[in-house]
Amino acid sequence: MKVSFPYMGNVHHYYKLMKLLGHEVIMPPRPSQRTVDLGVKYAPEFACFPMKVMLGTYLEVIEMGAEVIVSSGGKGPCRAGYYGETQRAILKSLGHDAQLIIVDGPYIGIRKLLKIISIIKGKNSWRRLFQIGTIIYQQMKYMDELEKQIQIMKAHEVRRGDCQRAWNKIVEIFDKEDTKEGLDKAYKLSKELLSSIPLHPVEDHQRIKVGIVGEIYVVMEPSVNLNLEDFLGSRGVETERSHYISEWVEANLIPKSYRKDDFHERIQQKGERFIEIPIGGHAKETMGHIVDYKERGFDGVIHLMPFGCLPELVSQSIMPSVMKDLDMPVLTLAIDEQTAEANVYTRVEAFIDLIKAKKFEHNIKKEEVAFV
Amino acid sequence: MRVGIPRALLYWYYIPLWETFFKELGVEVITTPPTTKGIINKGIKHSVPEICLPIKIYMGHVFELLDRGADCLFIPRMVSIKKMTTFCPKFLGMPDMVRFAVEDRNCRILSPHIKAPTENIARLSNFIEIGEFFNKDKKTTARALKRAEKVWLKYRSLNMQGYTCAEALDYINGKAPLPVKEKKDVTIGLMGYVYNIYDSFISMDVLTKLKNLDVNVLTFEMIKPKTLNAPIKKLNKALFWDFSNKIFAAGMHFLDNPNIDGIIHVTAFNCGPDSFLGKLMEIKSEACKKPFMTIRVDEHTGESHMNTRLEAFIDMLRRRDFVKTGEVTS
Repeated sequence: MKVSFPYMGNVHHYYKLMKLLGHEVIMPPRPSQRTVDLGVKYAPEFACFPMKVMLGTYLEVIEMGAEVIVSSGGKGPCRAGYYGETQRAILKSLGHDAQLIIVDGPYIGIRKLLKIISIIKGKNSWRRLFQIGTIIYQQMKYMDELEKQIQIMKAHEVRRGDCQRAWNKIVEIFDKEDTKEGLDKAYKLSKELLSSIPLHPVEDHQRIKVGIVGEIYVVMEPSVNLNLEDFLGSRGVETERSHYISEWVEANLIPKSYRKDDFHERIQQKGERFIEIPIGGHAKETMGHIVDYKERGFDGVIHLMPFGCLPELVSQSIMPSVMKDLDMPVLTLAIDEQTAEANVYTRVEAFIDLIKAKKFEHNIKKEEVAFV
Repeated sequence: MRVGIPRALLYWYYIPLWETFFKELGVEVITTPPTTKGIINKGIKHSVPEICLPIKIYMGHVFELLDRGADCLFIPRMVSIKKMTTFCPKFLGMPDMVRFAVEDRNCRILSPHIKAPTENIARLSNFIEIGEFFNKDKKTTARALKRAEKVWLKYRSLNMQGYTCAEALDYINGKAPLPVKEKKDVTIGLMGYVYNIYDSFISMDVLTKLKNLDVNVLTFEMIKPKTLNAPIKKLNKALFWDFSNKIFAAGMHFLDNPNIDGIIHVTAFNCGPDSFLGKLMEIKSEACKKPFMTIRVDEHTGESHMNTRLEAFIDMLRRRDFVKTGEVTS
């Protein structure tokens, strides 16, 4: 059975998961202009951008011979939970017979869920499935931690591209390891690799920190958000995202009593002031993260959303009040197939200049006070 | 104290309930006139450019109410009216959006959470906080709600007898008698949310236009809930949004119903749920060989565009009959 999956963020986890389960894996290509074109051609015009890119990816992997595509579902009210059904109908109407398997929660009925899991599980025992799950989760945690570190280091590297090269190497190192001990070793090796990168020294008050919040797909997938983190890094800005895959897994797949801390509940609570109830997607979390970034002394927030994203449109609507209330600069960018690189970069650059000026002004005032 | 109810979104579905309830509580209610260009412009000014048209119109009505002197806005937070389904995120976040949009205006916002297992939302738990707000005891609130429910049930039963919301509303308010129904040669299944179909600005009075073209029209609110539930149960996974489910179910019902000659889907610019169900309907209608047309409107759509497309569609249906039977039917 040739298995594939949509491309989002660090896809090496899904690759390894499928490989360890014993499937023949077809690695989806990184979303390109062709992927987008294919998706846009067959998806409904007003579908959100992730849906179009994912459909494009499916069509590409089907060309490459994929028979089964595994993706995630949801129970709404965000449209993402219904991507699968719509995409399945579209693929069928185009005459493709590849099977699209949507992994949903128990709300679709236990029997249906078990059927889906048993297809993915293959001949492995439940014990082995659990083992593989823990290994992948461990890898996610390690790699996300390293990525967080790189997002900060990128702003201060002496030779441009050092961090990216290191990251490519890290991916290679992790790809070779399939056991828990191996992962520990890979993590240690990666840490050493990172500490060997020469950095410009910076004082704490000179650092510019920007949080990236919004819809999970456009926040996590660099090929869709025009390598925004890279761009910010090259302009000397440290970044942090509101979504990391290990955190998503912790919030969605791990039972509450097994979680180490209540990070997600805390973020939700922080957002309550602006959006009272969860309205689907990550709108409430977006609010919570902005409050959280403010509390942690970030200088600005970039809010990413696909054009027409239902929940994030609500967050965008109340963003002016949020900015005023928190005294936090927020730049909202809607992304779709018509987004142009120059447009986004110009706006982001102007935004960086503004938050730098704001910070600088603030620091001068402080010094003046110190002189008096 | 004057409570304002915007004439937008679910106004058309629940207004007899809401209005009667407030009146029974002894509260003055004001509503806005039908959407005008001026109201839309107010809405556009106070909302994000890329949000869907119905929300812009809702915002416009909210500001119109404030300009007309409402002290208090009734913006219910529609959470769920059926098990396992909910509303579009914009409905869920509506009170938040309004709250921050009217921040600098002096008004109170009443936004009870509306949750019910069926579309009958007249439950005390939903409306008790409004009673409390106006210092009414539980008994008075319950009595008012009971009366409101009665009016609403009457309204819905008129719908199910085949009268449109506008006709039923006029009858209930004593403005006009119920129109006489005639048999026509062509029947159109009209898919669209109440806030699109009955808003004369969004749909440009599509119902009157169709009536003038001498065709029968069937909409989702005329179909019994039981009939609407059947096609949804057959789906591998139902949509998450209750009214979208109803529209989708109506569409599938139209596809299976031999009495329906063609289906028209009226949708507003950038409607999220419609983008998916529209595509699914497109695929399904092709398999069923039933004519299906989507009309997408926004604040720039011209009326002649609408007229031309409707006329062409109906002409095509009549021609189809002619090819089949060899007789000119009208």
